[in-house]
Amino acid sequence: MEMKMMLVDDEERFLSTTQKLLLKKGYDVLTATSGGEALEKLRTSNVHVVILDVKMPGMDGIATLREIKKQFPTIEVIMLTGHATVESAIEGLKTGATDYLMKPSDIDEIIQKAEEAFMKRQNLEEKIRVARMRKIIKSPREIINEMDKM
Amino acid sequence: MEQNIYTTIRKIILTRMILVPFIPFVLVLIIGYYFLTTSIETSTVSAMKRIAGDHRHMIESFLEERKKDLEFIGNSFTFQQLSQPAQLHRIFENLSKESNAFIDLGVFNEEGVHIAYHGHYKLTGKIYKNEDWFKAVMQRGYYISDIFLGYRQVPHFVIAVAQEEKGKKWVIRATIDTFMFSDFVKKVRIGKTGEAYLVNSGGLLQTERRSGGNLMDKLEEKIKYPESPGDTSISINAYSKGDQYLYMTTWLKDKQWLLIVRQEKSDAFKDLRSATYLTILIIIIGGGIIVAVAFNLTSRVVRRMERMDVEKDKLSQQLIGASRLAEIGEMSTGFAHEINNPLQIMKSEQALIEMILSELKESGKLEESDSLRELEDSINQITLQISRCAKITQAILKFGRQGEPVPKDINLQKFIPEVIGMVSKKASVHGISIKQIVSDTTPVIHCDPSQLQQVLINLFNNAMDAILERYGTSGGELTVKAGAKDSKRVEILVRDNGGGISPENLKKIFSPFFTTKPVGKGTGLGLSVCYGIIDSMGGTMDAVSEKGAGSTFIIHMPVAV
Repeated sequence: MEMKMMLVDDEERFLSTTQKLLLKKGYDVLTATSGGEALEKLRTSNVHVVILDVKMPGMDGIATLREIKKQFPTIEVIMLTGHATVESAIEGLKTGATDYLMKPSDIDEIIQKAEEAFMKRQNLEEKIRVARMRKIIKSPREIINEMDKM
Repeated sequence: MEQNIYTTIRKIILTRMILVPFIPFVLVLIIGYYFLTTSIETSTVSAMKRIAGDHRHMIESFLEERKKDLEFIGNSFTFQQLSQPAQLHRIFENLSKESNAFIDLGVFNEEGVHIAYHGHYKLTGKIYKNEDWFKAVMQRGYYISDIFLGYRQVPHFVIAVAQEEKGKKWVIRATIDTFMFSDFVKKVRIGKTGEAYLVNSGGLLQTERRSGGNLMDKLEEKIKYPESPGDTSISINAYSKGDQYLYMTTWLKDKQWLLIVRQEKSDAFKDLRSATYLTILIIIIGGGIIVAVAFNLTSRVVRRMERMDVEKDKLSQQLIGASRLAEIGEMSTGFAHEINNPLQIMKSEQALIEMILSELKESGKLEESDSLRELEDSINQITLQISRCAKITQAILKFGRQGEPVPKDINLQKFIPEVIGMVSKKASVHGISIKQIVSDTTPVIHCDPSQLQQVLINLFNNAMDAILERYGTSGGELTVKAGAKDSKRVEILVRDNGGGISPENLKKIFSPFFTTKPVGKGTGLGLSVCYGIIDSMGGTMDAVSEKGAGSTFIIHMPVAV
């Protein structure tokens, strides 16, 4: 399964260049310049990992994160912070972010963290899948029932 | 300049503190002294005046009584009776029983012939017609003589009374015991030197004077004579022999004798002198106390002012330093944050350039050449400089926003060796020996261990850098010392034997962005971060250094409560 990422930042040049880089490395990347736009796009496309700037005009990173987690709990979010402080990162992590990155970050760093997050998500999905499988194996009647419904 | 202000203040306070109590003090003393001396003088003089008056009355009544005695005799007996020596003898005997003032008794007829006489001299038959006293008594009826020598050639004085019988006058005369009278006049005693004596109108002594002067001696001192009988004249005169005397002079009634009562001035006004001495003593002691207290208080006040000023200066400097540090911190944080965004973009761009270049190279569109290598070198340089910027902004952000500290009790005897352990590897590589002297009695302090660790490691690294710069890889020495500074503070010293810090640099050493390290090696934030940390822990940090001998960083931390 290919990882699909989304970059959210108010710096458009950062978005376009990073998108280009990621595309060249073979990743599928969407971009959004604000929290609102990001939520809009998440609704229509299946994104696995969001890389989210903490400081944005309007809806800021933490608020966006909260909203994403509420609407799409399985999407992994990596915070991108200009503050080298642990506090803002901790706050992000508490709100449900998977990881954080400090600006300025290498493209490789970004990719690495994104991969890790994606792995985590995949593991989680795997677990969910296995759980479902067990459920199916345990009660074949239910499968029949389900099949009936279908 | 500063010193001048304190000298002026000292002068002002001192003059006021001396003058303000001194003026009323002296005024009270002067007024008190004035009234005291006046009253002593008045009472002394009036006492003497009273004594003189009383004494005059006594002398007067003595003479009056003697006159009465003679008159009584004259009235009781006839001239005939008195002319008989046996009768006169009996009368004298009776008279002596009443008063021993008489030493002889005589009767004279109108012609001044001494008809009868009882006494020690042979005066019977002598003619007194031309004597002054006889003339006076015939004229006035009675007479009291001055002291004179007479026929007997002994100083004496007489009282004579004239009687008339059948148209003929006769005179009865008695000689008064001069010595008895003299003693009677002399017996007044006032103080040590007070004395009384009589002089006649010619200034001859009529009684002996205790302090010297025989009968009929001429008086040496000039005396103010009172104008009329009964008056008392007071004067203070210098006696020719030097001492000053207080004189009281008064005329006797019915007799041209002057009673003089005199006392040495120093004796009379003895109390006055004591009062003067006492006043002077009080002025000296009291004045001395006032001056001493004024000096003591002034120097205390001025010292305290100086100390307070110094403290105030120090405090305001610290405040300025602290607020400036906070401002810089605030500003730099915002600044660093803003720089990070463009840096992020630059980094992405640089990554894109590199990627495109490698793509071009792979596809063969770009051939290896010197220019290409230079381009790659230039791009690498950009990468390097971006990461350098990133380091700086990170350091600034650290400086501006310290994490929330988690204070714990720290036992420095364990803590310091632990921290030294973290740098001991680096030290041994560079041949630096580390000496640790942590006193067993070092009290426990209460602060965030990671922050304290950051401070200490920073200081150790700085010290080692300084040592390396001077010695290379041998001979370096780093000393870490800890112990109680006083009951409230713990002192941690970090000393190196490096090149030291010049005085100008020492002043700026805790300022942010101040560094002596070569470009790219230091951010100039390490020590100011340390300073900020220690300050937030309620401690102080200071540095002393001698160029060429090394530097010492001194941290004072409050003891844990």
